Amino acid sequence: MGTKRMLLVAMMVGLLLCTPLMAQGQREAGGAGPVDIELWYGAAITEAGPPPSDWVGFQIIRDKLGINLKLTALPSNEADQDVKISAAAAADNLPDIFMVRREVWLRLVKQGMLAPVDDLYAKMPVRTALQYDADSIGFTTFEGVSYGLASPGSIAKNEGVLIRKDWLDKLGLKVPVTLDDYMQVMKAFTFNDPDGNGKHDTYGFGAFIEINNFEEGLGRRMDPFFGAFGVAGTWNMTKADFGLNVRKGKYYDAMAFIKRMADDGVVDPNWLAYKKDDFRAAWKQGRFGIMREQNAAFAATSNYAPFDKNFPNGEWIVIDPPKGPEGKQSVGVYTSQYRVYAISDRVTAEKKDAIARLLDWMSSKEGYYLLGWGVEGVNYTLDDGIPVAAGVPDPEYAFTGPKGQPYTQLRNMVFYNGEVELTSRYPTYITATSGKEMSALRVLVDMQSRPWTAAIASDTLPPPSTDLKRFYEQGVTEFITGRRALNKANWDAWVAEFDKLGGKAWEEEARSVAVANGLLR
Amino acid sequence: MAKSHMKSPVVGISATDKVFYLLVNTVLVFLFIVIAIPLWSTITLSFRPNHFIGTNFEGMFLAPWNWSGAAYKALLGNNGFIMAFFNSIKIMVYGVASALFLTVPLAYALSIRTLPGRVFFIVIILIPHMFDVGMIPSFLMVKDLGLIDKLAAVYLPTAVSTYNCLIMKGFFEGIPDELKESARIDGASEFTLLLRIILPLSKPIVMSVGLFYAVSFWNDFFHPMLYLNSNNLMPLPILLRNILMASGMNEFVEVSAFGEAPIQAIKAASVFLAAIPMVIAYPFIQRYFAKGTLLGSVKG
Amino acid sequence: MDASVSVPSSGKTLVRRIQRHRAIYILLVIPITYFIIFKYIPIWNGQIAFKNFMPRQGVLGSAWIGFANFVEFFDSFYFWELLRNTVMYSVGKLLISVPLSIMLAIMLYECRITVLRKTVQTLAYLPHFLSWVIMYGILLGLLAPGDGLLNDIAKAFGGRGIDYLTNVRAFPWVVLLSDAWKEMGWGAIIFIAALMAIDPTLFEAAIVEGATAWQRVRYITLPSILPVIIMVVLLRLGTILSGGFNQLYMLYSPSVYSVGDIIDTWVFRGLQEGKFALATAVGLFKGLMGLFLLTFSNRMTRKVSGSSLY
Repeated sequence: MGTKRMLLVAMMVGLLLCTPLMAQGQREAGGAGPVDIELWYGAAITEAGPPPSDWVGFQIIRDKLGINLKLTALPSNEADQDVKISAAAAADNLPDIFMVRREVWLRLVKQGMLAPVDDLYAKMPVRTALQYDADSIGFTTFEGVSYGLASPGSIAKNEGVLIRKDWLDKLGLKVPVTLDDYMQVMKAFTFNDPDGNGKHDTYGFGAFIEINNFEEGLGRRMDPFFGAFGVAGTWNMTKADFGLNVRKGKYYDAMAFIKRMADDGVVDPNWLAYKKDDFRAAWKQGRFGIMREQNAAFAATSNYAPFDKNFPNGEWIVIDPPKGPEGKQSVGVYTSQYRVYAISDRVTAEKKDAIARLLDWMSSKEGYYLLGWGVEGVNYTLDDGIPVAAGVPDPEYAFTGPKGQPYTQLRNMVFYNGEVELTSRYPTYITATSGKEMSALRVLVDMQSRPWTAAIASDTLPPPSTDLKRFYEQGVTEFITGRRALNKANWDAWVAEFDKLGGKAWEEEARSVAVANGLLR
Repeated sequence: MAKSHMKSPVVGISATDKVFYLLVNTVLVFLFIVIAIPLWSTITLSFRPNHFIGTNFEGMFLAPWNWSGAAYKALLGNNGFIMAFFNSIKIMVYGVASALFLTVPLAYALSIRTLPGRVFFIVIILIPHMFDVGMIPSFLMVKDLGLIDKLAAVYLPTAVSTYNCLIMKGFFEGIPDELKESARIDGASEFTLLLRIILPLSKPIVMSVGLFYAVSFWNDFFHPMLYLNSNNLMPLPILLRNILMASGMNEFVEVSAFGEAPIQAIKAASVFLAAIPMVIAYPFIQRYFAKGTLLGSVKG
Repeated sequence: MDASVSVPSSGKTLVRRIQRHRAIYILLVIPITYFIIFKYIPIWNGQIAFKNFMPRQGVLGSAWIGFANFVEFFDSFYFWELLRNTVMYSVGKLLISVPLSIMLAIMLYECRITVLRKTVQTLAYLPHFLSWVIMYGILLGLLAPGDGLLNDIAKAFGGRGIDYLTNVRAFPWVVLLSDAWKEMGWGAIIFIAALMAIDPTLFEAAIVEGATAWQRVRYITLPSILPVIIMVVLLRLGTILSGGFNQLYMLYSPSVYSVGDIIDTWVFRGLQEGKFALATAVGLFKGLMGLFLLTFSNRMTRKVSGSSLY
């Protein structure tokens, strides 16, 4: 009996050990004094760590603003972010302020989980002047009330059609203009051995499927071809011709063209299997000669370096997207990109004021530089008013260095794509191997000057149902792979089925939202 | 010890047996190749320098002197790596301790065929195995228990797996009843019986189940993501996920968080770094496999 | 035998039996409490499957909506296809990965070359640690239509490249075989542990009687680990409608949705639209199917082999 009782006691102790006593998170500082604000932020450099606890910013925020800031970095990919926020919301356990995607945001608004922020704009004069305008407020307005703070996100029109200039020169070709020119060049790139290695290992065009709700179907990397037929993106956002592009006649013509590209073997055959990183590794290895790519992913120092090393004589140039039979051309669609920060409606008035104080300070000169680049003389130096990494005592701690990066994790909360940022983010530099002068900013400006299709707020239209979305994406890829034979009759039958499955209703629903919010131009 | 087991029966080996062993060895060699090649390609991938041109196949034959340790350097130099590593260790140790503490008695109790209500208890533990009610119902439970942002939220809800428990129960059932009965007659209580007789005889399965638990806690990314908020609690899988999934990272501009290493190398290296503790643990556990009941077979 | 005991005294025997096992019940207290708290509270919360769950109203306060969430799943345009794909993958893996694991375990047990045995045993379990993200990279290297190793070899022999990863006919095999490759060694651990428990005197006796190696495997080894095999198979049948989310979510793409989309991936895409109650409803449906199948097959195996889960 004695051992039995002892064992029982041991088991009880064991169970107690298993309970939370063993491992606790940070204790919140209780009592009077600074207000606790819990902030879930989107990290600027997800793979680098969070700002360390001795970051000077925490001290300043506590002393100057009376706020005890508690930071949590959201997961790095959007699906995970959505899951984390949705779960916290379902348990009514949202943090005070958090970054959130618009789809999730809208759901939380409808569930009554978010605080209205209309009164905050006036309380943050500095920040509102820099970051918010009628469009951004409209982005977060539901039934006349603004439920979130939308800051400028990534820069609009930051992608472009790029072509290997050195391949064109080697094969004696001109920069392609029309779709036919493009086809000729792609064929030459595929079959005429532009890299001169004697192997058939190059292709005309490279892509991968990159879908989001305003670039459905084959996704944004194929949009230049849809653009030539005037059907880039998910939606046509014009007053005259609003609707789903896939339901328009020209979409079939674009599909026919892409199908021809696939059949002629001028598209990298791996494109349906590539994920983003594979695609990016592929162009650095010289697999294809034309692509749609983002300015920094192409031209920023560390991204261009491998290509430069592999092909010192290689050169990509930005060109106009192909011109279609009716003279239309477009790199793709663009929207105003925003990052939404929402406030839980559980916050007290005191906390809400503290949040306004915090955000306004972030956008002040002090906050902007501290969050954007760190401490002057430690993490950056000023060159003509532009923060640069050169000249700091320990390059590890420069805002670009591995030890300095954590200090700039919150920078997306203060950046608004202003002059200083762009110049600092995209410095002009000389490439290591070939000694070329490169500038992602110059590339960006060039890309922005190319033909684009406006689809502002098309990302706020209702998404399709799960089944319809699958039907759409599966259908268009199957027409390209040949699993469905692409001819007019089949296509029309497919579109009819798409309508029956809810495609038409989806379009009508979107139309009513678009009209109600005055989104059509 | 192992050797004597290997050699002794060879003396009288028959022709059919020769075919048998030849087949076994051939298949194992074949499996070795099939498994080793992709593993090798991942290892070489993790050492691949930034400017490498060629297919994965060509990458496999990249000479070691052309390898680059940049990926490992970048990962080990990552600010959060050490902390995340220790958080993972904590989760794993607490997790395995609570898991075995709960699973072993449960499995033992259920292995006793004469226990009234046994089927009822088995059904009780089988139902959660099949009914996965999803994230929200569990999240609500964790919140109601006040475990949000505590390591316990990560390992307690998954501390007992019905699968492991029933497997263990099956092994306990295989232990001859006479052993238990004679111990009971000697006046041993059920607890001493479990501790002194059953557990020592069940080392391979306790070790295997412990390993299963350890690996599932070690690899768990979902629960930490859901339940932990404090940066100082984040375990390794969160960090690795941020690296593996950060496909947007190429757009980060001025950035060179990883300097000279290509993203594929970073991914491969992160997987190897994360797997190291488990890779080290396995041969250690294998020792118990050989020493356990296998010992008897040496005589043959 | 118990049946022969007269009815009035059976109550007493039960009490006595319970008394005799009271130490065992004490052992059960903590684990069962654990189950009630950590497994049954969520199942209780699972009632949101029948509700229009609103966080502010909580589980109990949300309005009942009957079977609407279930109907949404059954009414899916792809319901039958999802069901077919899910069953195809879980049964396929049961038929490929599990026998391979058993074979591997037995071969390791029988192998007389120590170096070979130890190397393969250690190596075979490593792929389990490669996440599917990494696996996808490996598969792309092997199977990519443009420059995959397999296609390079096929082309060298004058064949045509096959788009294994985006072709509806090849894709299911890629899924099944890559799973076998990754999990075979891991799955073998449990069978290796089972083999350790075999009484070695059985083999000695068999050798004395002149049994060949084949016969020893057939009549001693396999029957000895049969209960474990049955247990593993039964437990896997209980989760037959989970076909391996992590793998398919990583491997599939729009061009192979028709053979790659399983219930869990479909639910996940719904989760991204915030359909949590739907996910719970599908979880309940999957559980119900698993329960039926497990009960049924448990009865079958008890009849056929005499061993069962309970």
